[in-house]
Amino acid sequence: MKRTILAVDDALTMRKLVSFTLRSAGLEVVEAADGVEGLAVLRSRPVDLIISDVNMPRMDGIEFTRQARQLLGGRPVPILILTTESDLTKKNDARTAGATGWIVKPFKQEQLIAVVARVLPGSIAAPAAA
Amino acid sequence: MSQELQQQFVRDMLAESYEGLDRFDRAILVLEQGAADAETLNDIFRVVHSLKGTAGCLGFQRIEKLTHAGESLLDLLRTGRLTPSQPIASALLRLSDNLRRLLGSVESTGADRNDDEHQPLIDEFTALRSGGVPVSSPLPMPPPVPPAPPAVATAEPAPAPAPGATPTTWGIFDESAPAPVPAAPGEPAASWGLFESATTPPPPAASPATPAPAATAAPAAPAASSVAASTVRVDVSLLDKLMNLVGELVLTRNQLTQVSQSRHLRAETVSSVSQRLNLVTTELQEGIMKTRMQPIGTIWSKFPRIVRDIAHDLGKQVRLETVGADTELDRTIIESIRDPLTHIIRNSIDHGIESPAGRAAAGKPAEGLILMRAHHEGGQVNIEIVDDGGGINLARVRQKAAEKGLLAPDAAARLTDREVLNLIFHPGFSTAEKVTNVSGRGVGMDVVKTNIEKIGGSVDVQSSAGAGTTLKIKIPLTLAIVPALIVRAGGERFAIPQVSLLELVRLEGEAAQKALEKVYDAPVFRLRGNLLPLVFLDRELKLPSGTDGDGILNIVVLQADQRSFGLVVDEVCDTEEIVVKPLGKQLKGLPMYAGATIMGDGRVALILDALGLAQHSRVVSQTQDRGHAAGTLDAAAASAAASSSQLLLFRVPGRDHLALPLDQAARLAEIETSTVERTGAREAVQYRGRIMPLVHVGRLLGGAAADTPSATGPLQVIVYSHSDHVVGLVVDEICDIVSAAVELQPGTAAPGIKGSAIIQGKITDFVDVGGILRTAGFPAARAA
Repeated sequence: MKRTILAVDDALTMRKLVSFTLRSAGLEVVEAADGVEGLAVLRSRPVDLIISDVNMPRMDGIEFTRQARQLLGGRPVPILILTTESDLTKKNDARTAGATGWIVKPFKQEQLIAVVARVLPGSIAAPAAA
Repeated sequence: MSQELQQQFVRDMLAESYEGLDRFDRAILVLEQGAADAETLNDIFRVVHSLKGTAGCLGFQRIEKLTHAGESLLDLLRTGRLTPSQPIASALLRLSDNLRRLLGSVESTGADRNDDEHQPLIDEFTALRSGGVPVSSPLPMPPPVPPAPPAVATAEPAPAPAPGATPTTWGIFDESAPAPVPAAPGEPAASWGLFESATTPPPPAASPATPAPAATAAPAAPAASSVAASTVRVDVSLLDKLMNLVGELVLTRNQLTQVSQSRHLRAETVSSVSQRLNLVTTELQEGIMKTRMQPIGTIWSKFPRIVRDIAHDLGKQVRLETVGADTELDRTIIESIRDPLTHIIRNSIDHGIESPAGRAAAGKPAEGLILMRAHHEGGQVNIEIVDDGGGINLARVRQKAAEKGLLAPDAAARLTDREVLNLIFHPGFSTAEKVTNVSGRGVGMDVVKTNIEKIGGSVDVQSSAGAGTTLKIKIPLTLAIVPALIVRAGGERFAIPQVSLLELVRLEGEAAQKALEKVYDAPVFRLRGNLLPLVFLDRELKLPSGTDGDGILNIVVLQADQRSFGLVVDEVCDTEEIVVKPLGKQLKGLPMYAGATIMGDGRVALILDALGLAQHSRVVSQTQDRGHAAGTLDAAAASAAASSSQLLLFRVPGRDHLALPLDQAARLAEIETSTVERTGAREAVQYRGRIMPLVHVGRLLGGAAADTPSATGPLQVIVYSHSDHVVGLVVDEICDIVSAAVELQPGTAAPGIKGSAIIQGKITDFVDVGGILRTAGFPAARAA
């Protein structure tokens, strides 16, 4: 069964890049433009993995992660934080909020797929890259 | 990722970034004034931040590096560790300029490479950053993604990262042991990470041996137009509506096919299909037009920056205010008014607004004001650019015109003030004492005027000494489909766009014989006391002379270049919406024609260009030419018209003097009483394939003897269109069209009457159309 990934990013092109990469690896992607939209998606349907940007209007990725964790209850849905800021504070914030891991932008497509394959084993049948 | 896809992403990035940078510029201007709030700072941080991420992913390293420098500075600003200052604002504006240029080269060549030297700006950012709290260290620069030469591009020595933050590029958090994520062996720096137990082996590093796909694609085919101009955003609900309408169109087509195949063709069936087709087409046309509409704010948004830069250069203080930025017009028109508007703004700042000292001496605030206003009016868009500067010095203009040999000195003295003002639109005219960097580049107001007239618009200038100058631009909403009057002359049909149409005059019998007068051999017609130069269309176009026998004179009064003239035609047919087709290049040089159109019977009709026709026949000529007597009178009339409004005077039983602004009336029509259909108390007629309810103005105003129809002849109807409907206002007699300066006074207050004014020596009541329609039970009278 196709796994569904929620991609949250306010930058349209980046969101499209993430979705395209994941779709070409055979995953289903739902998009949201910020944390508020992201939570709305979570309320409406189940997802298997969340990839979220940090810096977004209305609700940033850290707050979104925190609320998403609450919303998900105990369900083991990994949350990956996508950010250009490789500094410790953001990463620690994300971690405290309940994120599973982080990916630095800019990323290589293979990298993104590899990370997803790792946190969501079995989701990608034949890794496109590597 | 295929090259095509890569290009698609690049196009997305360009469109998104251009939009973001416009927002960025505006925010910096706010920042410069010290009025930026946290949300604004966050927003511009995000613009640069997003561009950095996207550009990085798509392999544009120069953009990435430059945005990184800017991002670090903006991060200090938004977290309050650095206070905004003039040098910071200037550097940030330069950042957006450099980024635009880089994006421009991505657009044209596919690579972010140009002749700009970015290092000085990056160094400047570093210097500015250290002006903040010393603790701030620049964010570490991530290594470039496509590792052509691995990690060579880190020109900026990354400062030692905070302890614990390995320069990895991904990681997985561990619930219990926050161990730094080990960098994958072989990879210079990992680019992701998971926070998980330390026992988990490091991620199978996305094999660094695999070369990344060539991210920098081969140069994209140079786009003819810029990315921003080649895409348009359409509301999904509008798109759905259009789809619905296309569905309707298909159904109607099917119906028509069926009807045309039936053996016994019945007139009613055909007419019902045609009515349906008419309805669907009209709605489809309106819908498609909407997709082409853009708010004028899309180009206005660039002006704060332009104003700031010019004012800075000239040492002036100028504030720009805008009203009506959401006024929509066709995108092709939006594009073509960008340059004229920019030029007018330049002129206003350069010639209009005085220096701070000069303003202080004149008792004005040091900061000058430029106001841009836009609004819809009668199928046109009015744009005004108002400045509160010194106004145009008429004596100076007269003198300059004489000096430059544009006019003989005595001729200059004879000109009215209004004509003198219009000299600024004369080619080669410039009053600037010294040629500044800003204006006086050989492009003058004449080019502005030409460009605006090219799209069927007009420019007018008003100025009062010491108080400022106002430029008024009128432009049509669209150029593709225009309402036009169809006339016949010399056996041919011609279309005259309604924007240049003022009124129609029909003279019969004796009146026609007496009407023509001559001024210096030029035929003129005395229209309400003003001399109107006449052009005979058949003679002008050297067509065989039309039907003179019936002794009827049809004069179409046209406006061109702020003057009016009468065009004599054989027959006035009807008004129609015509689709404008450009002329072939063999005919393009003829100034009298604006294009061609295809009529209902499939034949081609030429579209007349009022200005070209006037110039060709020399009724509107270069300022000092012949017919000055007529010209001056005319200019006086035009100037009166500009400062006042056109009014339609009419009568209903019991009220002899009523008026209504002419622009509220779509058409005047005569309707045979026999065609009126009644449903209960309501009356309606079929009018151009639509149902037009009739409203008896006399009955609603409760005049005396309102119920006795005064005449048995056809009904006189003012066709009034509001939102999607047409309503016919039935009156007793349409008396005249006048232009007058109106000052409404309460007067005889009554329902349906807005107020009164004295027109032609009579107290005239102004009808409140909106009110009347509401009384008559038409709730949606928004347009009134």
